[in-house]
Amino acid sequence: MAETEKGKEKPIIQVKNLYKIYRVGESKVYALNGVDFSLNKGEFCAVVGPSGSGKSTLLNMMAGLEKPTKGEIIIAGTHIEKMTESQLVTFRRQNVGFIFQSYNLIKTLNAVENVALPLSFRGVGKKERTEKAKQYLKLVGLEKQMDRMANEMSGGQQQRVGIARALAVNPRIIFADEPTGNLDSKTTKEVLKLMRRIVREQNQTLIMVTHDNYLAGFADKQIHIVDGKVMKIEEQNHDDEEEL
Amino acid sequence: MRFLDLLVMSVNNLRRRKLRTALTVLGVVIGTASIVVMMSLGIGMSEMQMELMESYGSMTAINVYSDMYSTQNSSKEPAHLTDETIEAIRRMDHVEGVSPLLNVNVILKQGQYVASYVSLVGVNQDYMKQITVGEGTYPVMDGSEVQLLVGNWVIQNFSNGKQNSSYYETGELPPVDLMNDPLYIIYDVDGYYTSMNGGNGDGTPVKPPKKYLVPVAGIVEGGIEDANQYSWSVYTDLEALKKQLKQVFKKNPIPGQPTNKKGKPYNYFIYNNAVVYVDDIDNVKAVQEAITDMGFQANSNSEWMEQSKKQSQMIQMVLGGIGAVSLFVAAIGIANTMMMSIYERTKEIGVMKVLGCDMGNIRNMFLIESGFIGLLGGVIGLILSYGISYLINHFPVAASMMGGMEGDISRIPLWLSGSALGFAVVVGMVAGFLPAIRAMKLSPLAAIRNE
Ligand SMILES: Nc1ncnc2c1ncn2[C@@H]1O[C@H](COP(=O)(O)OP(=O)(O)OP(=O)(O)O)[C@@H](O)[C@H]1O
Ligand SMILES: [Mg+2]
Repeated sequence: MAETEKGKEKPIIQVKNLYKIYRVGESKVYALNGVDFSLNKGEFCAVVGPSGSGKSTLLNMMAGLEKPTKGEIIIAGTHIEKMTESQLVTFRRQNVGFIFQSYNLIKTLNAVENVALPLSFRGVGKKERTEKAKQYLKLVGLEKQMDRMANEMSGGQQQRVGIARALAVNPRIIFADEPTGNLDSKTTKEVLKLMRRIVREQNQTLIMVTHDNYLAGFADKQIHIVDGKVMKIEEQNHDDEEEL
Repeated sequence: MRFLDLLVMSVNNLRRRKLRTALTVLGVVIGTASIVVMMSLGIGMSEMQMELMESYGSMTAINVYSDMYSTQNSSKEPAHLTDETIEAIRRMDHVEGVSPLLNVNVILKQGQYVASYVSLVGVNQDYMKQITVGEGTYPVMDGSEVQLLVGNWVIQNFSNGKQNSSYYETGELPPVDLMNDPLYIIYDVDGYYTSMNGGNGDGTPVKPPKKYLVPVAGIVEGGIEDANQYSWSVYTDLEALKKQLKQVFKKNPIPGQPTNKKGKPYNYFIYNNAVVYVDDIDNVKAVQEAITDMGFQANSNSEWMEQSKKQSQMIQMVLGGIGAVSLFVAAIGIANTMMMSIYERTKEIGVMKVLGCDMGNIRNMFLIESGFIGLLGGVIGLILSYGISYLINHFPVAASMMGGMEGDISRIPLWLSGSALGFAVVVGMVAGFLPAIRAMKLSPLAAIRNE
């Protein structure tokens, strides 16, 4: 059943022959060297590879933060490589949630305000967005820390606020660049489990960059990148309740 | 993004860095206050000058004289101010009213007290309504009877003929009650003095001229301290005066009326001068020229005023310029503060862009911040200006500098405070514009890179 349903659907992300070349002085750095793949809606995908292999570059380009040198990125049927910067901002506001490795919470805002921030960019009223923010903070298990300022929380707590912030806008796609990079292994597992559960529940697409093969194992699909090229793509099925 | 959210965010950002915001605002405060105070001085000076001029006579009035001297030696008849010319002037564009002035010298008498050579002026309604009455009312103006409106300083002229009895010697007003006690008027001044001196040349006594009881309708407003242009004369209805003069002098020439080449009086009245009232200050010049073209002499306060207007405009510009320099310095301060703020918040701005904050919103956020600095500085600066203005006006040193003129030197009209406030906000926003554009164009990638 699931197979046939997936087969019918158009992929939500298509990357075709993607190149990113940085010029450093005289020499050229091929950060991405012809990348091709596609992702379906509702998939949890991990981008794995050694340091400097081009994972972040790929993610940034899919999120519209950087322009490719060559190639196509089609998200939900739209070519984003041709968009202007302000179109890209609009595109992100409407479709994308972003989880950062270094959390990047706004220091002067408390947890609720941080989660509500992207909602305010969408023009959601204060009452409604506060309610929604509280709801998502509960979801990530931070009922008691709602009024804390960003720097009054532990790394794991901050990352959970970051996740709630990415999810609160109910985006179609969530990008996460080493979301657990700064967390210990126990918290890492908790956070990952949480992300996978929520994303599954809401049928969202999650793309996570990691250099840890073990963590990548929790994804439905693993894209292995070495030196700017896709080495292999692995797919595996996971149970929701599976222990990490 | 909603405007209110944007506003709250901007204000919060300013509150985060209180000291820096306060210092930047202080710059704007000083800038605004110096512009406003400087301008208020300029405005005060020019307004005081205007008031001074107005006390010499209305700004829209033109005095017309017949040009006696230039035609004296020529064979032409001089251009006389007659009822006809008055009507011609009345028909001109922009003329609201015109009144001839028929000036005769009379003697006023109450009991022992006599005021000699009082100037009695016959005027019409147009002129009469310019005068403000203090005690009493206006005289009747229907030509029926001579009623007097007495200048508030005329009482000083009364004396009882004894040594050291006049106001100029004693400094005390004579005990004359113009409003309530009967007052007599003598039109034939020459006749009066001839009889007083015991008759004419050959020693035959001459009967004193007839004196007429005259009602006083009112007294021109103003005490014995403040003079205005109506303080020294006595005013009455022109038509009534003409009738009265004809009755008094019968076939004899009326004193003060010119005669023709043969020395005979004209059979109509010729006025010494006339006053023309123009509808607007800007039209005074044109009307004045038209009257001059008719062969009369005309003058008004307009030339004088125009000149002093130009002068005070210059002063205002110079003073405003001095103030503007300090606001310019404040603007640089704002730009600097905003630049600093952007460097500090680079990461935050980047994160916001990654999260989908519209570029225009980011720009507006910075514009609101810098505009708010301007607004805050403008408001405080205005309050300060009012304080300084009050001090200037109430310090005796400053008042004596203006040569003892009455009134405030520093005046802040509403338009000045309004435009100063607007200007401060605009300066803030202009100063914040480049930083705002810079913030808008910041790369979002810079933010998510681990530093
Ligand atoms: N702005 C840049 N200018 C020049 N070279 C760059 C730039 N950004 C990335 N690179 C190069 O591109 C390559 C890929 O970088 P990228 O950040 O994508 O690696 P990564 O896979 O995310 O590594 P890590 O796991 O360490 O984060 C690297 O060799 C890097 O040096
Ligand atoms: Mg990376």
